[in-house]
Amino acid sequence: MADYLRYLLARMLVIPVTLLIVTAVLYGFIILTPPEVRAELYLPPNLQIKSPEHYQNLINMRIKMYHLDDPYPIQYALWLKSLVQGQWGYSPTLGEDVLPSLLRRTPATLELTLYSLLFFIPLGLFSGGWAAWQQGRKVDRAFRLAAFTATSLPAFISALVLMAIFYVVLRWFPPERLSLSLSQVIYDDSWNSYTGLLTLDGLLNRRLDITLDALRHLVLPVITLSMVHWATLGRITRALMLEELQKEYIVAAKARGVPNRGLVWGHAFRNTTAPALASSALSAATLFTGVMVVEIVFGFKGVSELLLSVGGTPDAAPVLGFGVYSVLVVSLIMFGLDVAQGLLDPRIREQKEIHARA
Amino acid sequence: MRGRRYFTRWQNILALLLLAFFAGIALAAPVLAPPEEASGNTPFQRVTDVKDYKPQPPSSTAWLGTVATSVRNMHLDVFYALVWGARSALNFGLTAALGAALLGMFIGGLGAFFSGWVQSLILRITDAFLAFPLIVGVALFDHLYFIAMQFSAVHIYFNDGLPQTIDTPLPPHPLDFVFSHVSPVWMALVLFSWMPTARLVNTLVMTVRQADYVIAAQATGVRWWRILIRHILPNTIAPIIVLTTANIGGIVLIQATLTFIGMGGESPWGEILAQGRHWIIGSYGNPLMYWWVFVPITLALVLFGIAWNLLGDGLNDWMNPRRTNHAQM
Repeated sequence: MADYLRYLLARMLVIPVTLLIVTAVLYGFIILTPPEVRAELYLPPNLQIKSPEHYQNLINMRIKMYHLDDPYPIQYALWLKSLVQGQWGYSPTLGEDVLPSLLRRTPATLELTLYSLLFFIPLGLFSGGWAAWQQGRKVDRAFRLAAFTATSLPAFISALVLMAIFYVVLRWFPPERLSLSLSQVIYDDSWNSYTGLLTLDGLLNRRLDITLDALRHLVLPVITLSMVHWATLGRITRALMLEELQKEYIVAAKARGVPNRGLVWGHAFRNTTAPALASSALSAATLFTGVMVVEIVFGFKGVSELLLSVGGTPDAAPVLGFGVYSVLVVSLIMFGLDVAQGLLDPRIREQKEIHARA
Repeated sequence: MRGRRYFTRWQNILALLLLAFFAGIALAAPVLAPPEEASGNTPFQRVTDVKDYKPQPPSSTAWLGTVATSVRNMHLDVFYALVWGARSALNFGLTAALGAALLGMFIGGLGAFFSGWVQSLILRITDAFLAFPLIVGVALFDHLYFIAMQFSAVHIYFNDGLPQTIDTPLPPHPLDFVFSHVSPVWMALVLFSWMPTARLVNTLVMTVRQADYVIAAQATGVRWWRILIRHILPNTIAPIIVLTTANIGGIVLIQATLTFIGMGGESPWGEILAQGRHWIIGSYGNPLMYWWVFVPITLALVLFGIAWNLLGDGLNDWMNPRRTNHAQM
């Protein structure tokens, strides 16, 4: 247990290091722009701009105050300090502060990401293991074909095809987050937003109809998002399982008369989950990009809204804020998968040094 | 002998045939789809004076039909986009994959060259970059691009939906210079997808460095750059080629995806799908009503991705015979 905690601590310490490196890179690029653009990072919240001259004065003041003409290390340190203090800057395009506007949109993104992870990880692990168990048979061939197709289809096209079938023709799963008739409810005074996750809040508010409707809207985005990641994880699990089944302890177990099913699910499966999840952790950034694309295609109003509304505008604050935020999210997903690895694989819990990422 | 073994798998032959097909239409693009004067430097054929807001079905003038745009009375020719899109996809995919591979080889090799704490630092930085979503890089470079445009020496305005340029007397900004040569999406793809290559190169070089022939070469006083070129490079290049090849399809998919969601990329394939997105869901409950809006382009994108994936898998088996193909797919 102590080893497991030490392992978790080591994994957790990676997050600030990652953030430090990534923020340094982000600011390294942003510093190429003129100081007036970056002055926006330090504009006060709830800014009332009275006139263009007033705005110009504010900007000039901040260039002086935050040494925006000074060398990179000084500027970077000052920006990092304001980030830690929770001042992520003000965006004139959004008309509000960057941090609150990111946090307000987080639950929708979180809901989509969480359900996708909960959907595709078990599915990928089990279908990959199953295909390896049935190697060369019908199930295996069907799995390989499906996985290959899923990785070759662009997410936005499968999204549109799914929408054409399940929304336009069958009317089962509509896009966006909630049906129009029910979206009034969540702005009502009687509605308590405990978590921001509509499926959970619906239960807590005893409004089962909201939960069900939110779930109905989640089906297509979750399937679209899961398809590619399920296929990748499944293929990796299958390959790992086949390698694992060649090992001596499996041969020994086979000699003892353990049935084939017992070999795959009883002996080899837990040993393949950790490296399979490690590979998923490495593609967590791809998952985040996928979430943004799926949100945009389905009109699922999450953090991606920020990305779209600032596209092609001169605002530096939301771009940097979005960058720091998404790296934080990706690091947390990676950490979550590390925790899961430790829970599933006793070797990680008991080992002092872990090279799962190597 | 090894070459013949490559052709024993039908997947490998299919991959080469598909790629030859794409390369063929990319090379023959000016013949297959001669651009009109009015199109400027964008390869799309812009079909003007269509008095209908609906996509036009295939006809003798537009072989694969047209897609309506937001500009009044102007449509895009699907066949032109398909042909010129193949050229753009090959160009973008190959250059971006090569750029990322070279950067990854440089950084990974640097780490292996230094060993010790410099190596740990470089590996740490590589891992930190792995937590960096590509879409953030695209947003970042889109922002830099926008700022660069404001300081641009050339101003672009639109007349009748076609880009026109005028020179301004401002001195050029360094960012403007960069972005007049590469697109923000290309930059993002190169600068934020080198990490797997760097990790691979680092591991490979560390293994090869301890091989007997390298130690022997060092002992006989061969210079380090000669060891690098004669011994280390030939023994590490095959897995890098495999990784890079398998990436090309994915890079083009990302490019098309970004164009589709309106974040740059300038993929003609993505552009057609973006303009036609409202017609893709069809009408009267028939998703295939306006099939030409998305079927040809989707097919091209999917086949392009499959071709590079198959080529990567095939090359891996061929160059690396110890790994049997059960580890594949």
